[in-house]
Amino acid sequence: MAVLIDLNKEKADILKFTRPGDYVVFFHNLSGEFTFSLNSTGINVDIFGLYIGARSSDFVIRTKQHHVSSETTSNLLIKGVFYDDSRFNYQGLIRIENNAQKSHAYQKNQNITLSPNVFIESKPYLEILANDVFCTHGSTTGRLDQNQLLYLKSRRIEKEKAQSLLIEGFLGDLLRKVQEKIPQFDYNIKSYHKLAD
Amino acid sequence: MNQPNLNFNYKYGFSMPQKYVFKAKKGLNEEVVAAISTMKKEPVWMTEFRLKAFGIFKEKNMPNWGADLSRINFNEIFYYIKPTNKQVNKWENLPKEIRETYDKIGIPEAEKKYLMGVSAQYESEVVYESVNKQLSKQGVIFCDMGMAVKKYPDIVKKYFGSVIPASDNKFAALNSSVWSGGSFVYVPKGIKVKLPLQAYFRINAEQFGQFERTLIIVEEGGYVHYVEGCTAPVYATDSLHAAVVEIIVKKGARVRYTTVQNWSKNVYNLVTKRSRVEEDGIMEWVDCNIGSQVTMKYPSCYLMGKRARGEVLSIAFSGKNQHQDAGAKMLHFAPDTSSRIISKSISKDGGRTSYRGLVQVRPGAKNSSVYVSCDALILDDRSRSDTYPDMKIKETDINVQHEATVEKLGEEKLFYLSSRGINKTESEGLLVNGFIDPVAKEIPLEYAIELNRLINLEMSGSVG
Repeated sequence: MAVLIDLNKEKADILKFTRPGDYVVFFHNLSGEFTFSLNSTGINVDIFGLYIGARSSDFVIRTKQHHVSSETTSNLLIKGVFYDDSRFNYQGLIRIENNAQKSHAYQKNQNITLSPNVFIESKPYLEILANDVFCTHGSTTGRLDQNQLLYLKSRRIEKEKAQSLLIEGFLGDLLRKVQEKIPQFDYNIKSYHKLAD
Repeated sequence: MNQPNLNFNYKYGFSMPQKYVFKAKKGLNEEVVAAISTMKKEPVWMTEFRLKAFGIFKEKNMPNWGADLSRINFNEIFYYIKPTNKQVNKWENLPKEIRETYDKIGIPEAEKKYLMGVSAQYESEVVYESVNKQLSKQGVIFCDMGMAVKKYPDIVKKYFGSVIPASDNKFAALNSSVWSGGSFVYVPKGIKVKLPLQAYFRINAEQFGQFERTLIIVEEGGYVHYVEGCTAPVYATDSLHAAVVEIIVKKGARVRYTTVQNWSKNVYNLVTKRSRVEEDGIMEWVDCNIGSQVTMKYPSCYLMGKRARGEVLSIAFSGKNQHQDAGAKMLHFAPDTSSRIISKSISKDGGRTSYRGLVQVRPGAKNSSVYVSCDALILDDRSRSDTYPDMKIKETDINVQHEATVEKLGEEKLFYLSSRGINKTESEGLLVNGFIDPVAKEIPLEYAIELNRLINLEMSGSVG
């Protein structure tokens, strides 16, 4: 079974994985610079980050998925919801060294903006020095899906409620993914959501 | 499987004996800048512009990001060479060597087909130029930049340096102080130029930097497609190419700018290309980088008016000792603006490709949408591919998407082709051409054919 690492508790900047196995890293509203170094064949690391920015919160985060050994997999997903004057500055790097053939690396950053005063900066970088690899990254930033909002409206769900339903769904998706790997993982999305209130 | 490196004999790597009317001294100082301006019999305002830009150039630092530029020595370069005394408008009147050079590239053939205006740049001055009569009748101006400064001072003075000021970056400052050649295009209101305008560029002197300057202005509702293709002979010492291209797209106008860059593999190609797009305007950059040692080029669109649209389609190919650091910039200033960037890059034989992009959504650019897609192929284990997209968003009612993939050629596809009796080299060429096809099909036919041929040449035999 996968090993869970809660970055908010670990307080580590550099995580060096040296033994084969499945690892899950989770963090929320964390600023800092984090390196995930995959130093042995057969390592799979899932990295999940959750951000809720409200008022004047200001997050600056750097991540580095560093594939040093061959046949390693890393999969990063960072989701954020931003209200008020909050700021989010993300720079994520996937670096695959020449020796790390047959590695797979994924990186995804999805942000929802809920106020015209937010500032989002997303820099998903790739540095690939091996050829027999597969890497993708994606980044989306935007408002809530207007079609989904319209649908809920047509079902007579008032705007505020519809909005929070969609946000819960958006963030809940990430939490479910963690739970798929770590069944005992339990986070109350509602209590998270209150952070923004 | 691992054959030795393809020692690709650069097809256009011939050089002609040099024959010049005037050649500036090596190196750069105020006297050289002033001498260039005097030689070109320029008005005082341009001389002042050059000298001011030179001051900025001296102060500006080299970029501290991107490709390695440490080997550029600004004092080892000739900044101005004038090949013949006057411009000629008949093919037969061109000097023999120049004609031979062009023959090898195939300019006359291309012209016979459907080029309406060929403006061929040999060294720093445009020496061969034929503008279709119909163009002039429509009021379209297509001439070399030096001539435009003299003949159309009002338009030039108004727009020259307005999109890319000399202070923009070190190489824009350098270009602003020593520029020569390049094209000037002016399309009046409502005029749609049906066939593409084309210019061919060559560098033919050792250690000689080419600093052409292009300015395109398309008035309300107008349209033009400008095509720039480059080939250059091989020399042992590094050559510097620092062009500046400024484009103004007025309300409802549309401009397409296509480049096929195939400088020889010792050229530093450091180019600033930018467009200003007004309401309902459309700007499209099609940018193919095959040659050069180092290219740093990020065509950009400043979307200033409502519903303005910007598009960059880019292909980069890096072989041995090459670094293509190319990309695009999209800056959204107005509501309902949209942009799209499609980048395809291929690295091989130790080459390195970097996609570097910037997307900025400014406050007030409501309902803007951005789509960026970067795909990279790495063909062997010595090559490298990077993706550096920056997105800065200061607005809420928007939609910004970015995606990128890096992979090798699909083994299943290769296997399928081999089962159909197609050999490996050919299959790889096919797949690479298929990979770039979404961009290549946007290029005028004869350039697309040339591109296809170049890719096949680059691919032949050496993929591991």
